[in-house]
Amino acid sequence: MWFTQALYYGLCWLPWNGRQAVLFDLVERKFYIFGLVFWPQDVFFLAVLLIISAYALFLFTAVGGRLWCGYACPQTVYTEIFMWIEQKIEGNHNARIRLDRQSMNARKASLRGLKYAAWAAVALWTGFTFVGYFTPIQTLWNELWQFSLGPWETFWFLFYGGFTYLMAGHMREQVCLYMCPYARFQGVMFDPDTLVITYDPERGEPRGARSRKIDYRAKGLGDCVDCGICVQVCPTGIDIRNGLQYECIGCAACVDACDQVMDKVGYRRGLIRYTTENAMEQHWGWKDILAHIVRPRILIYTSILAVITVAFVWGLATKATLRVDVIRDRATLAREVEDGLIENVYRLQVMNVSESPQRYVLSTMGLDRIQLMAEPIMDVPAATTKSFTVQVRVPPESAKKGSHTIYFDVKSTIDEKVAVHEKATFLMP
Amino acid sequence: MQRLIWIFWPAFVVAGVAEILFFTMIDPKELYLFGEPVRLSPLATYSIGFLGFWMVCAASNLLTCFMMRSADEVNRRKDRGGQGGSSRRTCG
Repeated sequence: MWFTQALYYGLCWLPWNGRQAVLFDLVERKFYIFGLVFWPQDVFFLAVLLIISAYALFLFTAVGGRLWCGYACPQTVYTEIFMWIEQKIEGNHNARIRLDRQSMNARKASLRGLKYAAWAAVALWTGFTFVGYFTPIQTLWNELWQFSLGPWETFWFLFYGGFTYLMAGHMREQVCLYMCPYARFQGVMFDPDTLVITYDPERGEPRGARSRKIDYRAKGLGDCVDCGICVQVCPTGIDIRNGLQYECIGCAACVDACDQVMDKVGYRRGLIRYTTENAMEQHWGWKDILAHIVRPRILIYTSILAVITVAFVWGLATKATLRVDVIRDRATLAREVEDGLIENVYRLQVMNVSESPQRYVLSTMGLDRIQLMAEPIMDVPAATTKSFTVQVRVPPESAKKGSHTIYFDVKSTIDEKVAVHEKATFLMP
Repeated sequence: MQRLIWIFWPAFVVAGVAEILFFTMIDPKELYLFGEPVRLSPLATYSIGFLGFWMVCAASNLLTCFMMRSADEVNRRKDRGGQGGSSRRTCG
């Protein structure tokens, strides 16, 4: 959990090649992720990345239940940070209940004020970090202290911060219950070999209060003393003894609470524990549970995930660093120039997707004695698109009337492998 | 509260997707508003775009919620006043 947050708060401050390492520059429509630069044309990679994330989620859910919720979900993570602050300032659960019952006094007011201020600070910092992924955070930081933040930056900063405060401070598990789509469909990824929080009914039932002096087993009672603490500690307010329910976020609060009770009454721990349905029924140990991780469902998820990931990495590694779009100039279709040559005009959009400035050489081919009337050297700065107007001339005897295919070749002078062979049409009047 | 969540939360998610799809394909610098090029800063265009998508989706959810109310809940008669609370479960 601390890992994801260190990543979130820290990554936007990391420099890379004289710019922010991870920056989603909306204004320039370029996304920088370390050495990679993504343009709107690369949306395909985003789609693949989403598919990979979905399969990873399926896989982790099938193996370990709601791992996502406890370790990565921002909702849970911020709720935990906020609860941690609450505990540090107002004390443990019982101290907080006592504080709640008190009428307003100086101590309560100061504790509450401190708590809300600390929450607000975390929320605002979160909001600031969020905006820092879209506007360079160094600039943003300076602007913040000069009170010159742009109106929309301020809006998103307060919007994100405000919602963090609301969700983590006040809504908490309500979000999981009413807003989370994952909670609703995670059930389909479960099978009897998925690790979940489970109550052992065979051991616990029939539940009931009992005197310490009597032998409860002789009276036909199970290990559950029906203290109800598992229900009290449950953040979503369910009774785990009724079986697995979609509200269960796998926080294991009931496991810890029940173990404490079991220690107190002197019974064996693990009446509520992290295990699988099969293991519970067939009294397996951890060895059997681990052995059952390898099953068709898991193998299928893993192999699909592996294939897509390899394809993704391969796609990234071979991502073209040069793109050329040829657009025919619409104003002048074709015209006759001096010496009776026929001229067509094109606009070349040269996109240097690499991180260094490039010099390209342009050439053309496809028709007999075809001539390029423009400067064949094109300099394009790093990660920029530059537009060049290019005239191409052909003697009238080279081709018949109509449209003909010609090619533009754009080659980098720095790296020979970087070359584009682009088709265009030449009109002969 | 639950009703507000039902209206605004799914709208927020869908608006996020719509925003990404829309602005991946369309550069805000190339947008026209009533025949005039949009003069807002790109950040403003993105933001207004998102809020716009959000509101449109929320309006749709609002209608859905309204239509999911049963006849009894819409025409709440006085002698059934006590059933008012049940509308929570059926959205709207």
